[in-house]
Amino acid sequence: MKKKLLTMILAGAMAVSMMAGCGSNTSSDSNSGEKKDDTASVDTSAEGDKELSVYAWDENFNIPALKAAEAAYQKKDPDFKLNIITQSQSSDVEDAVTLAGSSGDYSTLPDIVLFQDHYINRYVHDYPDAWQSVDDADVNWDDFSAEKISYSTIDGKHYGFPVDNGTVIFAYRTDLLEQAGYTIDDVTGISWDKFDEIGKAVYEKTGKYLLCMDGDGNDLPYMMLQAEGVSQFKDGKANFVDNQTMVDVINVIAKLAQDNVLYLANDWSDYTNQAIQGDMVAGVMNGNWIIPTIEQVAENSGKWEITSMPTLSGKEGYASNGGSSLYITGNCKKADLAKDFLAYTFGGGEGAAETYDAALTNGGVISTWAKAGESDVYQKGVEYFNNQPIYSTIVEMGTHVPTVEQSDYHYTARTQVAAAIHNIIDGADTASELKNAQDQVDFAMEGGNN
Amino acid sequence: MTEKKKKNSSAIQRRLIPTYIFLIIVSFISVFPIYWMITAATNQSVDVARGKIWFGTYFMQNLNNLLNFSKDVSLAHTMWNSFFYAALQTVLCLFVCSLAGFGFELYHDKAKDALFAILLLAMMVPQVATMIPLFKMISSMKLLNTAVAFILPSISTPFMIMMFRQNSRNFPVDIMEAARMDGLSEFGIYFRMYMPVMKSTYAAAAVISFMNAWNAYLWPKVVMNQTKAQTMPMLIANIAGGYTIDYGLLMLGVLFCTLPTLIIFFVLQKQFAEGITGSVK
Amino acid sequence: MQKGGIFLNTEKKYKSVQGKQRAAGWAFLMPATILIFVMSFWPMIQAFIMSLQTGSSANLKWANPITFNYTRMWQDKLFRGAVFNTFFYLIIQVPIMLVLAILLAQLLNNKHLKFKGLFRTMIFLPCATSLVGYALIFKSLFATQGLINDVLVRLGILETNYNFLGTTGSARVVIILALLWRWTGYNMVFYLAGLQNIEYSVYEAAKIDGANGWKTFWHITVPLLRPTIIMTFIMSINGTLQLFDESVNLTKGGPANSTITMSHYIYNNSFGEGVANFGYASAMSFVVFIMVAILAFINLKVGDKRD
Repeated sequence: MKKKLLTMILAGAMAVSMMAGCGSNTSSDSNSGEKKDDTASVDTSAEGDKELSVYAWDENFNIPALKAAEAAYQKKDPDFKLNIITQSQSSDVEDAVTLAGSSGDYSTLPDIVLFQDHYINRYVHDYPDAWQSVDDADVNWDDFSAEKISYSTIDGKHYGFPVDNGTVIFAYRTDLLEQAGYTIDDVTGISWDKFDEIGKAVYEKTGKYLLCMDGDGNDLPYMMLQAEGVSQFKDGKANFVDNQTMVDVINVIAKLAQDNVLYLANDWSDYTNQAIQGDMVAGVMNGNWIIPTIEQVAENSGKWEITSMPTLSGKEGYASNGGSSLYITGNCKKADLAKDFLAYTFGGGEGAAETYDAALTNGGVISTWAKAGESDVYQKGVEYFNNQPIYSTIVEMGTHVPTVEQSDYHYTARTQVAAAIHNIIDGADTASELKNAQDQVDFAMEGGNN
Repeated sequence: MTEKKKKNSSAIQRRLIPTYIFLIIVSFISVFPIYWMITAATNQSVDVARGKIWFGTYFMQNLNNLLNFSKDVSLAHTMWNSFFYAALQTVLCLFVCSLAGFGFELYHDKAKDALFAILLLAMMVPQVATMIPLFKMISSMKLLNTAVAFILPSISTPFMIMMFRQNSRNFPVDIMEAARMDGLSEFGIYFRMYMPVMKSTYAAAAVISFMNAWNAYLWPKVVMNQTKAQTMPMLIANIAGGYTIDYGLLMLGVLFCTLPTLIIFFVLQKQFAEGITGSVK
Repeated sequence: MQKGGIFLNTEKKYKSVQGKQRAAGWAFLMPATILIFVMSFWPMIQAFIMSLQTGSSANLKWANPITFNYTRMWQDKLFRGAVFNTFFYLIIQVPIMLVLAILLAQLLNNKHLKFKGLFRTMIFLPCATSLVGYALIFKSLFATQGLINDVLVRLGILETNYNFLGTTGSARVVIILALLWRWTGYNMVFYLAGLQNIEYSVYEAAKIDGANGWKTFWHITVPLLRPTIIMTFIMSINGTLQLFDESVNLTKGGPANSTITMSHYIYNNSFGEGVANFGYASAMSFVVFIMVAILAFINLKVGDKRD
């Protein structure tokens, strides 16, 4: 009995795969289907004249923004089609460029890719053939936040169209602050020392942390330094040890963690799912793209409010973290169409207002385009944030963000400093840990620049 | 007589009590995470994150979310991809490696033994090392996102050749001569005699090969960059790598990804054990 | 295939028949051999060439000095850490797993034992779970708010929830536990198969000679299982030195890169953090290759000596 069953299953599997196997050489259903789709998305020459392909990665964030742009441009050209190819995460796009570069064949790339701002400088230098300059696009670059545009301007040439906005917000649970006897005004324009004091009171009264961050990809040092107008880099080199502001900031972070004011999550999902959505915290400080994550806990609606960051001195702090822009690849053979489409929509053209309004409504994407903040959608109070008009506030805050020196090794520094912080919290010496981190970044730079 | 036997056996059973306890504990530890995965698939993300261990009522929602997870490609298509690649790889791997095992053992001479030793070296080649050159090769052949790209590096593996070679030691050499007398060609011997005799080895090899192919993640991630070509492990990794993770959905995905290998293992369990037995004699 | 075979099978043409057989033998192993050469050895040679180069993946050029990537490795604290972690997993996990697997196999090989098939199936079950999947299962079980914490706190063993994956020591232990869970049953099946080949009479004879359980195990079971033990050892060493999925999916190598494995670090140098340092990654993977080969060789030698 059993043997028969086994034989049948084996024979069945054989038959299926044999058929399919033979087919793969000629044309089986599934495979020819796949191939057709490949050509549609990869071989850009096979697309229709009015069709562009694009890589993007977040179904709840930047993909709705792209759909909004497609709809806006279709008003100009009804035949236009945007083929959005979903990637699981931003690193997939980076890997695609890396791999295409390794074989010297960029034909596997789509017409346009969404790319992280912190990486683009390096990728343009390492893979010059993978990109096309968009200097001649019909865009008034001054309408955008200078800080944002600085990322996509490489060696004086524009390469990208800004999509979102990384302006940092500090969101607080006002109900929990209240339990500890504080209001949102008490945490606006304060020093980190004062923040620590309030945080301890909040933790004592409510058991919640006033600040949280992904300890693995720790963006706190970067944001806190930018709010002081200081960079982790100086003249293209890591500047940790002799950077007194940085030493102070790192000590603040360690102290906050030791005082149970700061919760450092193990990884990204621990940060979003456990800390933020699992109600472990009374405060979140990050790029404003974190807002949709906060908003997913429906029962906390109306309890959150946003404000600026604390600083070392106690003035209001502004910074920007993360964000991405759209870049036209070297594989795009319809560069004029792509430039026109992007300039018309994300670049502040006629369709920009419609694009950005819909992007905000459907995906929570906030623009750095100054004029976007003037629209009704941006001015509206948001119920989840106690009817604060958070979007126009964020656009306004964005104009105060100081531009600091950037580096291709931003994420290397982040990893190394995160490791240092981890050890400092466990009792290691700040100076020696920072020295070690700086050595590691230098080491990485030396390897990359050889 | 029977009384005595019974007494005797109950005495033996009593002595085995610690063994039973130990085995029950180990079995519990082995099964529990799987049980937990199944219950988690019926719960809401928050409950999973907080460690709920009973079945919930959220299964249909999770299923619905999973079916709609990717807007570009259906769950069935992803399952089919995984199955198709794994089945194709298994069949080709079994054919190529058993042929080699047959050749190495039953036609062996010094040169072939030396070659075999060289091939074994390939077992130690780390996947991360060959990944990039292989990608270049596959890419230049314009094979990205095809089944061929998926299976090509895994069709011939030293482990499988070794397994078939070891098991071929049990193959009665005398009947080969008899078969030759009867006019069977060398390939005929392989096809008509070797394959049927080695059935259980094939079964064991099939289980191992299928599981490896089904679970493959690193290589497919590099060569299958189109959503249409993605496999189940890539799908789960995507769910896990998302901006916010839905744990209920994730565990349902893991369940879907585990079911086929579970079924294959259950069906081929006995043959698997028999086949492995032969290989380590 | 060769229909003419019957006519050739005569004394006269015996030599050509032998030649034909030899040719057939070579033909049989050619497809597999060619595939291994093209799919393993050739890329390995290319990887070696790449290991002497630096630069981005689009414009690799010869390193200056040529051994740059190799000398660099000795100064790389992270790589040293990754080597340490990998060997830590290897030294702790592999012996525990194999001893446990032999023990379980021995227990299950008792002919008086009831529900044998059920036990065997349950213990083997973890091997059927998906590799990416099981790491994620363990990750959520050991999450700070997860089930294990919940149970330990309720039992009073822990006072407050413990961050298992966020603390170096416990994160390493979780990785080892996960590996033990996933692979012990797999190795057990090999031993069980080996044990079933040992005639029961051997044990009976030993019993009559007055050997106790431990003695029979050490003097009969282990020697007879030696080929199996060597094979599982080599497989486990190989698997552990190439450990990737667990490090990536369970801990992401963290906290502070303290649980990262060699393969994971190599992968990060190829793709992570926008680095794409293919030359350096290739150099490191070449070193891993040599380590695995040396360990496997030692293993085989040690295995042979006991003869």
